[in-house]
Amino acid sequence: MTGPDGLAARQAALVAALVAGGPLPPGFDADDVAVARRALLRKRAGLVRYHWPRLAAALGDRWLAVFGEWADGRTPVGALRDGWDLARHLAAAGRLPACAAAELAAREVTARYDGESAPRRRRLPAVRRIGRTIAIQALGRVLVR
Amino acid sequence: MTVLPDHGIGIGWRPEIAGLVADLPGLRFTEVVAEALPTGTPPAMLTALRERGVTVVPHGTRLSLGGAEPVEKARLDRFVDAARRLSAPLASEHIAYVRGGGIEAGHLLPVPRSREAIAALTRNVRAVQAELPVPLALEPIAALFDWPDDELTEAQFLTEILERTDALLLLDVANVYANARNRGQDPLALLSALPLDRIAYVHVAGGAEADGRYHDTHTDPTPQPVFDLVSWLCARRRPPALMLERDGAYPPGPELRGELDRLADAAGYPRIT
Repeated sequence: MTGPDGLAARQAALVAALVAGGPLPPGFDADDVAVARRALLRKRAGLVRYHWPRLAAALGDRWLAVFGEWADGRTPVGALRDGWDLARHLAAAGRLPACAAAELAAREVTARYDGESAPRRRRLPAVRRIGRTIAIQALGRVLVR
Repeated sequence: MTVLPDHGIGIGWRPEIAGLVADLPGLRFTEVVAEALPTGTPPAMLTALRERGVTVVPHGTRLSLGGAEPVEKARLDRFVDAARRLSAPLASEHIAYVRGGGIEAGHLLPVPRSREAIAALTRNVRAVQAELPVPLALEPIAALFDWPDDELTEAQFLTEILERTDALLLLDVANVYANARNRGQDPLALLSALPLDRIAYVHVAGGAEADGRYHDTHTDPTPQPVFDLVSWLCARRRPPALMLERDGAYPPGPELRGELDRLADAAGYPRIT
């Protein structure tokens, strides 16, 4: 069966409800799906922590809350980009801790990321300032101050 | 139905615990997450295990066999390639879907236990079997919710899929425990209704209570009721291999080895530590 009642459409609607802020599809137990949604969010936070260790460490006990508030209902784009988007969001709001700024700055000078597709390694030198942190990359070598 | 000779107790190979796994003198069986295996030469520590005669089985997590869409060719090729490079006697995946509408869920999601889902699963499993040079084992997952259109019990659903595809069963005893506990059912009743004669090997893992449910986290110790189910299963007919899955929050070596010993004792296999 295809179309709006077909398996593909119903599976997509459930994924959207679980990770991308979509409405609860008809017939599902709202409590059960909410528990699953929060469990997926915790797992996603763990994967982003793995890719952005200094970001997660800098936020300490608040990591899960900060990530959860930002990510809940936001379509996942993979742990690398999720973390990158969050770090930029925090930096723009002046809420990025200094040691996490170094991590972001180093990533920014190493790869070009347009916020919409996979980051691509930079071939040319680059300089970025995040808060008080400056990162310089040339010939693939990165200096962060 | 036996693909593996008796291998006894094993543990899932992960880079973080590769040293501990390499130091298990009695180890004869391990499993590696297929998508985590780099293309090209397998990691040196994994190759060393192979050379020691340890069986390494690739375990897929992203094929989305339960998805309505066909399995993506690039993912299938990589899965098959992993089985070849490891000279694995079998490979395994889940009865689950992991993406929909172009969005990755980030975890294994249950499919409805319906005729429509059985048709999709059968199609996808057969597509994998057509490329895979070795038998495929399918693992039922731990689910935090059920679909409203469930027509079959878990045992009926599973039996039908295995019969249609001639696939083997990768039985996760911890998933049986989690599902029964969260549905308020008796785990032994659920376990004994499954097609146990098709077991290729067994998973065991830990979990924790959170948010009013039992979560199969793989980051907590295995609870005693799961070991009790292992003992029941092994007293009935002992599977050729049972392995512990640990996927994070790795405890100190002695603690993990102790958990492996408990699994060995519960199953009646020699300790491998």
